Amino acid sequence: MAFDFPSEEWTQAYFNAVNSDPNYKEAGKTWTYGALAFVVSKEPSIGLTEEKAFILDLHQGVCRKAWIAGLEEAQKQPFVITGTYAQWKAVMKKELDPIKGMMQGKLKLKGNLPIIVKHVKAAQVLVENCSKVPTRFLDEK
Amino acid sequence: MDYGADLGFTFVHTPKVIFGENALAEVGTLLSDLKASRALLVTDRFLAEKTELVARLRKAAAGRIAGEFLDVVPDPTAESIDRASELARRVGADAVVSLGGGSAIDTGKGLAVVLTEGGRVLDHEGYHALPKPLVPHLAIPTTAGTGSEMTMVTVITDPARGQKTFIGSYFLHPAVAVLDPTCTRDLPPLLTAATGMDAMAHAVEALFSTLRQPFSDACALAAIRTIMAFLPRSVRNGADLLARGQMLIAAAQAGSAFSNAMVSLNHAMVHSLGARFHKHHGTLNAVLLPHTMRFFAPDVGERFVWVAQAMGVAASPADPVAAGLAAADRMDRLNAEIGLPRRLSELGIPREALAEVAEMALSDGSIIYSPRPIAEAAEVLSVLERAY
Repeated sequence: MAFDFPSEEWTQAYFNAVNSDPNYKEAGKTWTYGALAFVVSKEPSIGLTEEKAFILDLHQGVCRKAWIAGLEEAQKQPFVITGTYAQWKAVMKKELDPIKGMMQGKLKLKGNLPIIVKHVKAAQVLVENCSKVPTRFLDEK
Repeated sequence: MDYGADLGFTFVHTPKVIFGENALAEVGTLLSDLKASRALLVTDRFLAEKTELVARLRKAAAGRIAGEFLDVVPDPTAESIDRASELARRVGADAVVSLGGGSAIDTGKGLAVVLTEGGRVLDHEGYHALPKPLVPHLAIPTTAGTGSEMTMVTVITDPARGQKTFIGSYFLHPAVAVLDPTCTRDLPPLLTAATGMDAMAHAVEALFSTLRQPFSDACALAAIRTIMAFLPRSVRNGADLLARGQMLIAAAQAGSAFSNAMVSLNHAMVHSLGARFHKHHGTLNAVLLPHTMRFFAPDVGERFVWVAQAMGVAASPADPVAAGLAAADRMDRLNAEIGLPRRLSELGIPREALAEVAEMALSDGSIIYSPRPIAEAAEVLSVLERAY
């Protein structure tokens, strides 16, 4: 069964994928910097009439909580990464490296860049997990 | 031809560049063009009190300088940028003029962010998160090395968290870079050499970064050729304004190259050694660069032939590894010619600290752009050991 991206169901499936991956447990074990909010910019043409975010509360190789939220709640998190629907889709399909995407301005980061870059391996594993979640993209419906 | 069918890149144009002997005299007109009438000057006390540059700048600005912040510190702190911002608000500044090395220009960038967006500078840490263009910033480098006048990043030290952080955004590019060889004329030979080799490291590392691309390559290769020709001349005779000017151009080209393509292992090690032992950034780059080049000789391919040729070293496209090694040897000799140290041991760095430095470098953001992935501290340590 595929889950709409973004949605609460997709976020919970992602939460499970992260927590069942021993690679993330290892790669993320030094992460103690709080939650990451991934904001999808609004795109009315595919039914996204306002920004939607999925937030991962990560700590030492474990995702303690994952939830879907609006922009206001997302912006309170220590790290906020914003992209268009097409860019997030490219990340999930492994067509866009998220760190490269940030450097090139395709994804916008609010927060301490060196901390993110320092955890590049963990970021790669998170992307790997993301691509494992059966996903139905809104623009393909 | 080193670009594949999968080539894809972003290259962002650099500021308006004004070059020439006494280009400083154009500051008033440039500010007027930017519709700025109340700029804040950002510089340090040495330049203000021991050189004529600030006096020349004041005269050129013809009343468009509303205030002067003279307390730029090396490795600018958030606190110093916030203090500059308070002064800027008090005087109603509508533009920033930075005069100095990378620290002054980075302070100017941070100040432009706060003047535009409000709050404190650390409220804006992030990458490409600034929503709109900033108040105009006119940057005037007094060293030929950091290239900060051409880049989209400011590095800020946050002592409270014991961390360096970044603000990066295309909006951070200064609006204008004024490259005036008379502004670097008084730089002493050793500092001329060290800052020049910082520019060299920017150029070489941009060429072998994983984000390399044709536009940054062109800037980097031009910079290498120019540095080879004019850095020794600048060191030998600081009053040689032709050489000084060419070095300013090369540093700016190298800055543009690495602003788009980034730097990698060499700078990762330099940042770590700098943080641990507070040694000069350019000197560390110079000492390590030949060893980093040897380390990557098997990985860079044709690009090392380009580097070697730009350095005036005979190199055959048939043997890029040999080209890389020959270019590294030439880089080492260049260090000797311009009077720089060639070993980390000469800098008073204890050998037993290298393992810790290698671990630190592994966590530095720059390392991810290395031409081959570096996952083990032992690999970094092997370069540091060879450089010792």
